[in-house]
Amino acid sequence: MTMFSQNPLMNGPNYSFSQTPTMASGANKEHSFYPYTDNGGSTLAISGNDFMIMAGDTRSTSGYNINTRYSPKVFKIGGTTSSQDDATLVLSVVGFAADGHALKEKLDAIVKMYRYQHGKPMSVKACAQRLSTILYGKRFFPYYVTAILGGLDEDGKGAVYSYDPVGSYEREQCRAAGAAASLIMPFLDNQVNFKNQYIPGSGEGHALVERAKDPLPLVVVEALVKDAFDSAVERHIEVGDGLSMMLITKNGIEEKFLPLKKD
Amino acid sequence: MEVLLGITGKDFTLIAASKAAMRGATVLKAADDKTRSLNKHTLMAFSGEAGDTIQFAEYIQANAQLYSMRNSIDLSPSALANFVRGELASSLRSRKPYNVNLLLGGVDPVTLKPSLYWLDYLASLAPLPYAAHGYAQYYCLSILDKHHHPDIDYEQGLKILRMCTDELKRRLPIDFKGMLVKVITKDGIKEVEYFDEKPVACP
Amino acid sequence: MDTLVASYGRPMFEKEHVEEDQLELYQPGPSLSLKFAMPPVAQPSAWLRAATDDHANPNCPIKIAHGTTTLAFRFQGGIIVATDSRATAGNWIASQTVKKVIEINSCLLGTMAGGAADCQYWLAYLGMQCRLHELRHKRRISVAAASKILANLVYSYKGMGLSMGTMCAGVTPSEGPALYYIDSDGTRLAGNMFCVGSGQTFAYGVLDAEYKYDLSVDEALALGSRSILAATHRDAYSGGFINLYHVKEEGWVKHGFNDTNPIFWKTKLEKGEFSNVTSELV
Repeated sequence: MTMFSQNPLMNGPNYSFSQTPTMASGANKEHSFYPYTDNGGSTLAISGNDFMIMAGDTRSTSGYNINTRYSPKVFKIGGTTSSQDDATLVLSVVGFAADGHALKEKLDAIVKMYRYQHGKPMSVKACAQRLSTILYGKRFFPYYVTAILGGLDEDGKGAVYSYDPVGSYEREQCRAAGAAASLIMPFLDNQVNFKNQYIPGSGEGHALVERAKDPLPLVVVEALVKDAFDSAVERHIEVGDGLSMMLITKNGIEEKFLPLKKD
Repeated sequence: MEVLLGITGKDFTLIAASKAAMRGATVLKAADDKTRSLNKHTLMAFSGEAGDTIQFAEYIQANAQLYSMRNSIDLSPSALANFVRGELASSLRSRKPYNVNLLLGGVDPVTLKPSLYWLDYLASLAPLPYAAHGYAQYYCLSILDKHHHPDIDYEQGLKILRMCTDELKRRLPIDFKGMLVKVITKDGIKEVEYFDEKPVACP
Repeated sequence: MDTLVASYGRPMFEKEHVEEDQLELYQPGPSLSLKFAMPPVAQPSAWLRAATDDHANPNCPIKIAHGTTTLAFRFQGGIIVATDSRATAGNWIASQTVKKVIEINSCLLGTMAGGAADCQYWLAYLGMQCRLHELRHKRRISVAAASKILANLVYSYKGMGLSMGTMCAGVTPSEGPALYYIDSDGTRLAGNMFCVGSGQTFAYGVLDAEYKYDLSVDEALALGSRSILAATHRDAYSGGFINLYHVKEEGWVKHGFNDTNPIFWKTKLEKGEFSNVTSELV
C-alpha cells in the first residue's frame, strides 16, 4: 500500500549516474535508460478555514552539489495570462525538477483550456481529479515527483490535495513532501492537527481530554511554515537558500519570498 | 510449518505442538513429540532446524536433571528460562549456532504461579501470558488477544486452544497432522487427550 | 446514446500519436482512458521494476510498499466491509487517514490493498464502466459482471507491474449480497469472507472464530471492527483509523472512521482483552 514516495531522511544524497540500475542482459545489449535524478528540496502545504498556504524551498541539488539557490517549486496554475496574476490554484512539485516542470506545464495548459472551453475557472476538486489521471497516465513511466495541489473549494475553505508519483491522492489538512518530509510532517501533526496534545489536568491516564481541533488563523499558520522550514534547513543538507510561499485567499494569491540559511 | 502454542491460565500452563515431523515435501512421522520435560513442573517445546532441535532440547534436559540431582531441588521455570537463554546466546556466538525456537511453560513449585517463556533462535526471551512460534503467530495471536484472560480455568484454556487449532486447520495450506497437547499444573506434567479429527471448513 | 458510448469505448493499448497527445488538452473527453506513456526501452516492465520495486532495488526512487488490512464478509443482513487507514512507504508512515474503501457507486464498494493509485484509478474506471452498463441496458450491473470487468482489465496488464488486491461488495436483487476478491495476478473468486493485506491473518483469526452467517447487523459490525483492531495491534504496517461500511440492498451505509487508539484502550479496559499489554515493565 503506497501513497507517497518520499525520501526518508536516512536515504541520503544520491548521484544520478551511480543510481543507474543494471539491466538483465538479453541477446542484444540495451544501453541503460535512467532518466531520473533527485533534485532534493521540500514542500509544505497547510489549509485553513478560508485560506491555504503552499510553500517550498528554492534550493536545487544533485548529490552534494548545489545547482542553484533559486529554482522555485511552487507554481500558480491556470491564470488567463502568462503572468498568472488571476490564477486561483497552486501546484508544488518536488523530486525530479524536469518531471516537475513538465507536469506543471501540462496541468497549466489543461486548466487554461478548461477555462476557455467552459467559460469558468476549474474548481480545485476537478483539478485534483484531473491531476491524478495525468500522473496515472504515466503509470508505466512515472513522473518522479510528489505533487501537492492547493486552492479554495466551492465553500471557500482551504483545500490541500496530496499525491504520490503515480496519482493516488487524498484531501488533507496539511502535508509536507520531499527530502525533509520526515522532519516536517511530525511537527505538523503536532502543531496543526494537535496530535498527542491533551488538556492538562482534564483527567487521569486514558481519560485525558484531547485538545480541541480549532482552526488556525493565517498568521499562526504562516509562522508555522517559517518555523518548519527553518528547522528543516538546520538538519537537512538538501533544503535551504530561500522560501517561496503562496497565500491563497478569496482575494487571490499573494506571493512571498523569505531568505533561508545558505550554508 | 511447525506449530507451537502456549497458553497460561489461573493455575496451569498449556503447551501444544504439531505432530507432523516433516522433511522437505514428506511427512516422516505423524505422531512426533516436539516437547521435552526439564523437571517435574517445567516443559519445553521446540521447533526449528532438524537435528538442532532435539540435540539442544536434550542437552538442556540433561543439564536441568543434573542440577536437580546435585542439589536435590528443581530449578524454577524462570531460572530454567534464563539458563536456556544463556545457553542459546553462547551458542549463537559460536561457530555453529543452534537454530531452535522454544516455548517454555511451567508452574513454580513454590509460588504455584503458572508461567510461559518465549525464546527464539536469536536468544530473545520474553515472559508472556500466551505465545506462539512460526506461522501460528500470524493466525493465533489475534485470537488470543481477544479471548485470553489471565484468570481463565483449564476448561476455558482448552476452549481457546481449540479456537486456535481450528483456525490453523482452516487456513494453513499444509496439514500439520493435529496437535500434541500437554498441561503443566502444580501436580506435574500431563498429556491431554486432544481429539482433532473433526474437519474444519472455510466459511 | 450510441455516439456517447462510442466516444467512451476505446480499444485497449491504443496506438499513440504525437498529435493525439496534444489533442488531450483540447478535448473535454474522457480522462480515464487506457492510453499510457511507456518508457522507450525493450522491456518496460523490467525497467519499471528497477525504478519502483524496492525489493529488487533497495535504493529505487519510487518506493512502493505493501502494508494494509482490509476485510469483507457476507452475512444474513448484507455485507460488512472494514479497513484500516495506514499508508506506508518502507518504514515511513506516509498517511494515517487513507480512505481504503472506495465508493464505486451508491451500491457497490471496492477495497484498496496494494498500490493505492492502481486501486483508485481502476476502481474509478470500473465505476465509469458500471454507469455505461446502466445506460446501455437500463438496469444496474451485477456484482459478478462488475468484478469480471475489473478482473479482465487487470489481467490484460498482467506482468506490467500493477499491484492490487481488491474486494468488490454489493447487493443486487438478482444475486443478493455478493462478494468478490480480485487481484492483479488475475485471480477472481466469489466467497463469503475475505481478508486482504499484510494484516490479513490476524483479521482472519478473530473473524473465523466467531463468524456465522446468521450474525445480527450490530454483531457483524462489531466483529468487523474488532478484526481490524486485532490486525492493527499485531501488524505494524496496519493502523490509523477503522473504516466501517455496511452494504444493503438499498445501497451502502457508512458506520464511521474511528481512531484505533481510544478503541484499543476501551476494549482492553472494559473487556479485559489484550492481556499481553501490561503496565509492568517485566
